[in-house]
Amino acid sequence: MSDPSSRWNPTASLGRALTVGGVAVAAALALGRPALVVMAAPLLVAGAMGLLHRPTREPRVFSMLAHYQLHEGQGTRSRLEAVDLDDVEHVTRAMSPQPYVALHPTAGTLGHLLGPDSEVAPIEMSPRRWGLRIVGAQKVALTTPWAGYRWGPVALPGREMSVLPTLSHFRSGGEAPQPIGLIGAHRSRRDGDGTEFSSIRRFHAGDRLRRINWRVSLRQGILHVESTRAEEDSAVLLIVDALADYGRSEGVGRSESSLDVTIRAAAALADQYLGGGDRVSLRVLSPGGEYAGYGTGTRHLRRILTLLSRIRPGMPRDVEIDQIDFRATAGTVVVVISPMLSSALATATVRLVRRGLPVIVVDPLPSGTTPTAYADADEEVAELAWRMRLLDRNHLLAMLAAAGCPVVPWNGPRTLEEVLRRLARRGQLPRVGGA
Amino acid sequence: MIRGAWPGVWVLRGLVILGVVLALLAGVPEGYRPSIFVVVVIVVGAVVAAFRPEYLGLSITIGLVLAWWAFELRAEMPVAALVAAAGLTVAHAAATLLSYGPPSLPVDPALALLWAMRAVMTWTAALAVWAVARAYSGHGSPTLFWLAGLAAALVGAVVVGIVASPRGEELSR
Repeated sequence: MSDPSSRWNPTASLGRALTVGGVAVAAALALGRPALVVMAAPLLVAGAMGLLHRPTREPRVFSMLAHYQLHEGQGTRSRLEAVDLDDVEHVTRAMSPQPYVALHPTAGTLGHLLGPDSEVAPIEMSPRRWGLRIVGAQKVALTTPWAGYRWGPVALPGREMSVLPTLSHFRSGGEAPQPIGLIGAHRSRRDGDGTEFSSIRRFHAGDRLRRINWRVSLRQGILHVESTRAEEDSAVLLIVDALADYGRSEGVGRSESSLDVTIRAAAALADQYLGGGDRVSLRVLSPGGEYAGYGTGTRHLRRILTLLSRIRPGMPRDVEIDQIDFRATAGTVVVVISPMLSSALATATVRLVRRGLPVIVVDPLPSGTTPTAYADADEEVAELAWRMRLLDRNHLLAMLAAAGCPVVPWNGPRTLEEVLRRLARRGQLPRVGGA
Repeated sequence: MIRGAWPGVWVLRGLVILGVVLALLAGVPEGYRPSIFVVVVIVVGAVVAAFRPEYLGLSITIGLVLAWWAFELRAEMPVAALVAAAGLTVAHAAATLLSYGPPSLPVDPALALLWAMRAVMTWTAALAVWAVARAYSGHGSPTLFWLAGLAAALVGAVVVGIVASPRGEELSR
């Protein structure tokens, strides 16, 4: 009945109408039961109408996403592009639910009548958690008038979407402890060509004439100039601990796991420092070992966010954590975002501190995090093991504090402001035998 | 949603069951009473069909209802036949609406309205056949002669519709 190359097939409705109606009429004629014809007549009419709307064209459908890269919580639409829909009366789309992807309609299924020039309605979707997600996989079925024939359901593959962590676009007022670059927004300890007033001093050869303070020069009888502080950038190294994920993640705006906090904190800090003109590098401790060298600008921010979205938690391959060269030069601000449940990472952090680098540990472990144990694990044993790990963690955090490394829980983009101010003040104090 | 299905889907499932049961019990006021066993079998079949509209369940259940009527009736043409036709039409239309998608697909009101109109339209065919049968029941020609004529006309229209369809040419392009 149907062309082998066609995906049009008679529906169960058509089969029922014709089979039951035909058998009933045959029985009526054979047994002499005219009432059976009355009962079967509506089915026969429905079947006949279904047959009369037999499709003559083979439709083609393609699914398209309006965006292939989004931030958590943003939304896009999955549209269905279709041609040769002249025979189609109704379209049904059923999108398979994905973890951390909210759909509208909620169940991901949508069906509506198709007018002469109307388009197929889109399905709206919003990724709720960073990461790589396959979205848009769906089944499509087209039905002819009177539900006589159905095309499909045809499975359309999904597309990979890169879901970037959310950004708060916050600009910190905190200063970098040891700015060393050539350009940037941080106040330097050196005098230079900046805008912030430093002092009034005698004119030296090479000073710009527009810097001369004529009032002081006339009063003193010697040329005096206004000196300013240089403005420099800072190098920031973000070390992201993705060795494991603790706690339960329910997507953006809801309960967060430790890795959620880690990724969002790293994204917020990268955005904050790159927005201030600083050079930012990213080093992820994960099986993928994601790394971004020092760079500036929005393109570099996009690269860091993309790397963050690709993180899968686990132990790094072929490398010991305490042997990693973090490529932190003098003056680099090192931000380690880690729940510090790994003694190897704590050791590596202390080593960075002892090199004289300003190191800050950001603790992303949400309060009240419970252990994620295997289904067949004894709950009491798991609870006990978790408590022992927390004791170990407290010991590591105390060790870091004793080494002069501040540990702050992540509390939004302002988390580092006060710590950086303290580090900057500490850096300006005179030291015996210091550099 | 209730147990993975929208309220509209549950209403349609109820209509499938109600339609089949109505078709079976339509003759009770006129004295055509099915046995409890038949009622139970039909109700079970209707429930299965309501949850599996794409399978043969509804065809078999409707077939059983028609078979029961075939055993109950002879050459009579009671009003109950019209009510039974209405019940079967409702069950068929509701099952067709259910088969447009999974239970998680909400029922499109426009589609439901369209099928309600179609159900009424198809039922008028039953009314026409019933009226013709009633009108000619006292005449010389046997009733089945007219009914066979109507059925032949219907089958002929369908065959013409299929033959006249340009499907083969269109698909080969």
